[in-house]
Amino acid sequence: MILTGSEIQTAFANGDIMISPFEAELVNPNSYNYRLGTSIKKWVGQKNGQNVFESIILPKDGYVLDPHIMYLGNTYETIGSDQYAMSLIGRSSLGRLGLFLQISANLGHTTSCHKWTLEIVATRPIRIYPQMKIGQVSFWENKGDLLPSTFTYANYNEPQESILIPGMERIL
Amino acid sequence: MILTGQEIIKNTKDGKIKIDPFHEGCATTNSYDLKLGTNYIRYTSEILDPKTESQFISSPIPPEGLTLDKGDFILASSEEKVGSDHFVPLIHAKSGIARLGLFIHVTADLIDIGSYGNVTFQLYATLPVTIYPGMAIAQATFWVPKGEIKLYDGKYQGSDGPQPSRIHMDKT
Repeated sequence: MILTGSEIQTAFANGDIMISPFEAELVNPNSYNYRLGTSIKKWVGQKNGQNVFESIILPKDGYVLDPHIMYLGNTYETIGSDQYAMSLIGRSSLGRLGLFLQISANLGHTTSCHKWTLEIVATRPIRIYPQMKIGQVSFWENKGDLLPSTFTYANYNEPQESILIPGMERIL
Repeated sequence: MILTGQEIIKNTKDGKIKIDPFHEGCATTNSYDLKLGTNYIRYTSEILDPKTESQFISSPIPPEGLTLDKGDFILASSEEKVGSDHFVPLIHAKSGIARLGLFIHVTADLIDIGSYGNVTFQLYATLPVTIYPGMAIAQATFWVPKGEIKLYDGKYQGSDGPQPSRIHMDKT
């Protein structure tokens, strides 16, 4: 079951959902609007087979994304839940402008809690602003026992590029 | 919980799901197939800016098809008006469309409970692809909410045909 906006507020109030900072006016009928953080990373190429990202502090008057280039951003809020699974997506108002907020990885695991990394790709040049309302997170009830998560990206609060585990030749 | 096709048919007959026009044959095992409407929108603003209204042109999708180039982004809509005051709809591409490399939304799959109208598709082509009015292009699933329901009353309510982003109407 997906939580309604009222239920998100109730769960926030009793500690089953963490959203910080939380603003009641960002609650939707069945999701919560999250904001973009204050910096992003732009993919600028590869060096020795590794992706190289350049950090950009987003100016107040906005920053224009080049189309078809990969950027990493993060949520302004710390978001998580020990009780519910999450789906982190873009707002329809941004989707209508052709802005991807993730690359088919919407699932947030129960027990993770952090500033989420966003995988941002623009299909057309678009200006983005720090702390703009950019996406939505929804909360979903679980069925079954919870296994403790070993998902390491939950330890990161800054826009975090993919991590290759040495020797394991796989991406977390 | 996700509704089965049989449950979608039952709830449409009961008026708890609104799909117009509705054909039982479009219900699948877990979803309802949505067809492509007759118009599309292409932005003409060089840089899209969420703080200002973007310029666009609206055109019919010709019966002989509209070919999108790799990297093209347009808005189109469902032929059906869709919504529910009792379930949360999610929008997905039909797998046959995704296999052609065509995104039908740009990370905005979640429909607010209480919203009703034509679904705006955010079409992004990763390969050259031709689309036709009336083709089955997407599917809607319906999910059971938990908590008190407050119905959507937002800026896209009652959408007729594809709707460009109205993010410039945001207060903050």
